Amino acid sequence: MGLVRRQDGRQETGAPAGTVERRRRGRGLEDLVEQLRDPDPQARRWAARDLAAHPEAVDALADALEAERDPAVRAALLDALAAIGGERVAERLVPLLRSEDAALRNGAIEVLQGLPEAVAPHMARLLADADPDVRIFAADICRALPHPETPSWLAALLARETHPNVVGTAIDVLAEIGGPAELPALRAAAERFAAEPFLAFSARVAIRRIEESAR
Amino acid sequence: MARVMIVDDAVTVRMYHRELVEALGHQVVEAENGIEALEKALGADWGLFLVDVNMPKMDGYRLVREMRAGEELRAVPVVMVSTEAGPGDREQAWAAGANFYLVKPVRPETLQAVVRALAGEVAS
Repeated sequence: MGLVRRQDGRQETGAPAGTVERRRRGRGLEDLVEQLRDPDPQARRWAARDLAAHPEAVDALADALEAERDPAVRAALLDALAAIGGERVAERLVPLLRSEDAALRNGAIEVLQGLPEAVAPHMARLLADADPDVRIFAADICRALPHPETPSWLAALLARETHPNVVGTAIDVLAEIGGPAELPALRAAAERFAAEPFLAFSARVAIRRIEESAR
Repeated sequence: MARVMIVDDAVTVRMYHRELVEALGHQVVEAENGIEALEKALGADWGLFLVDVNMPKMDGYRLVREMRAGEELRAVPVVMVSTEAGPGDREQAWAAGANFYLVKPVRPETLQAVVRALAGEVAS
């Protein structure tokens, strides 16, 4: 929908009058950052959307994201951060992997998956985190991270990991993105976890999928 | 025979749970996230949903809230199956409207016992 700029108070686009009024507010950087705290979720959503054009607003957007509870505003904040991208966005979203809020965490993961170069420097630390949940979410980032090192990061994780759910996630992601180079790590995992039915099953599946796709 | 929806973004988990559920004689439909599950669920009768928590696009808690908010899927039993084992995770599942909570990796006999209890068994 286009912006309404007429001075006579009439609409040009058929937008609801309230929307028109909200879109008439200041659209400069400071105005938009202020509007991220507006009581009206629609105003916050518009502000987030327009801040996608302001790379200097990353911290304001990330602060707002941590406080926001409205799903539509959250989605707009995540979209804006994804559009801006870069190292600062990755720095602000990586800590959200520790959030207890599944929707916020998964939103952060989806944005991080779109920032391979910015996320890559964080991956070794995340995949070695003391918290197994963080290691699981880091492996989940790898599921759709277009970076050439991703399969080898997961193979290295698999070689040292003992937590069954981290192992399971690494195997599952390798079943999707792994290649022949990861087969030794998967075969070793199948042997190590032969007594664990799910892990033995998933390692067999991953090995079979890679072997079939390599033929 | 009941129709069972398995919702998980992990392909190996879906395949593993499918084998266990089909061994009980049930028909399985798979979905990779909450949105796909809701799309596939409409217009059919369901005996049970097995739902992961962490999924892209729509997580498991939100899926269950959406099911409980609508008419069609309100009464379908839901088992949440998650890697997260804290008391807060279970509370979130109950608050969303789940009937049961299992922590991954699930032992085959445990999963089948829960499916039997909620959706019955056809195969002997």
